[in-house]
Amino acid sequence: MSGDIEMNNEMEIKKVNFSAIKEYSRDFLKYQGNVIIFLIIWLFAMIFVKNFATVENNVNIIKQSAIPVITCLGMTLVLMIGGIDLSVGYLVGLGSYISGMFVVMMGLPVALSVIFTLLIGLLCGLVNGTLVQIVKIPPFIVTLGTGYIIYGLAQILSNGTALNGLPKEFLAVGRTNILGLPSSVWIGLIVVLAFYFLIHRTVFGRSLASIGLNVNASFLSGINDKLIIVSTYAICGMMSTLVGVLMALRVNNCTPIMGGGDHTFVTITAAILGGASLSGGKGTAWGAVLGVFTITIIENIVNLSGINYYIFKAVLSAVILSAIVFENLKNKILQ
Amino acid sequence: VQKKLLKKILIVLFCIGGFILIGSLIPNFLTYNNLINITRQSAMIAMCAVGMAVVLISGGMDLSTPGIIALSPMISAILMLAGLNMYIAIAIGLLSGIIIGIVSGVLISNINIPAFIATYVVGQIASGIALVLGKGASIGGLPRGYMMIGNGSIFDIPISTIIMILYVIAGSIMMEKMRIGKHIYAHGGSELTVKFEGININKLKYFAYAASGFCTASAGILLSSQMNAVHPTQGADYLLDSVAAATIGGVSLLGGEGKIWTAAVGALFMGALRNALTMLGIHPFFQNIFVGTVIIVVVAVSVLSKNKDMESAKVF
Repeated sequence: MSGDIEMNNEMEIKKVNFSAIKEYSRDFLKYQGNVIIFLIIWLFAMIFVKNFATVENNVNIIKQSAIPVITCLGMTLVLMIGGIDLSVGYLVGLGSYISGMFVVMMGLPVALSVIFTLLIGLLCGLVNGTLVQIVKIPPFIVTLGTGYIIYGLAQILSNGTALNGLPKEFLAVGRTNILGLPSSVWIGLIVVLAFYFLIHRTVFGRSLASIGLNVNASFLSGINDKLIIVSTYAICGMMSTLVGVLMALRVNNCTPIMGGGDHTFVTITAAILGGASLSGGKGTAWGAVLGVFTITIIENIVNLSGINYYIFKAVLSAVILSAIVFENLKNKILQ
Repeated sequence: VQKKLLKKILIVLFCIGGFILIGSLIPNFLTYNNLINITRQSAMIAMCAVGMAVVLISGGMDLSTPGIIALSPMISAILMLAGLNMYIAIAIGLLSGIIIGIVSGVLISNINIPAFIATYVVGQIASGIALVLGKGASIGGLPRGYMMIGNGSIFDIPISTIIMILYVIAGSIMMEKMRIGKHIYAHGGSELTVKFEGININKLKYFAYAASGFCTASAGILLSSQMNAVHPTQGADYLLDSVAAATIGGVSLLGGEGKIWTAAVGALFMGALRNALTMLGIHPFFQNIFVGTVIIVVVAVSVLSKNKDMESAKVF
């Protein structure tokens, strides 16, 4: 292309510039499709949906997205190495109940109980990672099985009950008002920044994508694949229990049925919308945030437009489906 | 070859022996009535597992199970209550399952959406439609003939069990004796190879997901006839259970491996396990832990034994 520019023909230069713009926009379309989907949906809602374009509503969307973003980031890490974690939703339930149990029933200090809860999540993730990496069971099965086990454990611990009326100092962890937003939003923001750093600015993050694309090549180039895969699952588990704690604080109720299988699948869908791939090697922190925001906005639109509650899920899924179809058709045309 | 056959026979004998040994320790477990009851209760999961196995063998994944289990019987029930002939209503319900399967197949093969996402979203839409059709509540008062499908029996064998066995036989014949079945196995092994052979991959995928939709719809109709009512969220538990049953039955999630009848045996095994735990008076909360552990252990054993075979071919 540089050869073309050297020609002193005005027409040629114009053509070259044009093609550069075209190439740039093409690259943008190809790699930032999630931004386009997000903007289309957001602008559509701003213009056509009643009561959407208020500051209050948009702040509300941020509040609602901040917590699921954390699981979505953990899931993105796991998807990047070509794995999958189906136990996420059940870990959310376990984390939710266990943190309440530590504080209310055992009377532990709040900080300590949150740390214990995170450690339990880390432990569950470590078990997942060990079974996947050391015993070489496919991740789908491992996490399906541990999901059953974790759900059973949470049910046994709770004995089918829920904890209401959490103490004030515990609620303060997620509800303290800082600059007009609850602290759970700031926790979400910190996690996003940490994951951005982890995925895009560290050797660990680069190794994730490398392992997702080709495990053997990564191994041969000196990456400690076992350690990275196990720690990825551990991080995902820890993030899930963190979400459990924050969700419990948000609704002031600790119950093992929080999260569940639905949460897992919505998280995976958000990660895919954000550009992660089930076959591994792809994923960005930025994309995960956008994916969750896209789903929350769709939910918000469906809520605001007063659609029948029963058809809520169907409409939500149909919109998500059309977003994914759009993304795939676009990629097909661009190739 | 003989060594392998011997090994297989030994495994089967070992399983049967273990079943009888453990079963005899549990009071009232090894009675004709209880065992036949297990087959009746697990007929639905077994039928779902047959459909799931077809899709898993083709290298895909079907998460639309809960939606189809709710929607297909809902359609049949509404048509029946509107006065349509029972058999036509059931046929239309089954057809709806096939159509949902084909929709998933089109999304997966023509638009290249990952099977995991496409089938999940399609299932969610189906269960949403089921909720709207049932107005969020269950529909009862179905005709007596419909109820007899799930609750009647011929020569002391429940009709549900007979239907399940017929499905397993039909599925096995389709996958092992017919050309399309061989193609599905080959597709699970290597999609590219099948493509270069000149086989129409898209048709193959439509067929696999339609078969799964058909089996799942039948399971839903059987379930609603056993309960004599259709509930719009009746399928919620069946998704993970049918994947687990197929996996316990030795179907590989990576595709190309496994047999239909072993998937059904996996479902029966899970049903027997749950039944035995209940008989022993173990709280249902603990049952999930058992089921989860069994899934992991069964697959770990098969993976470890396979790794031993592949040790000699190891590069790294």
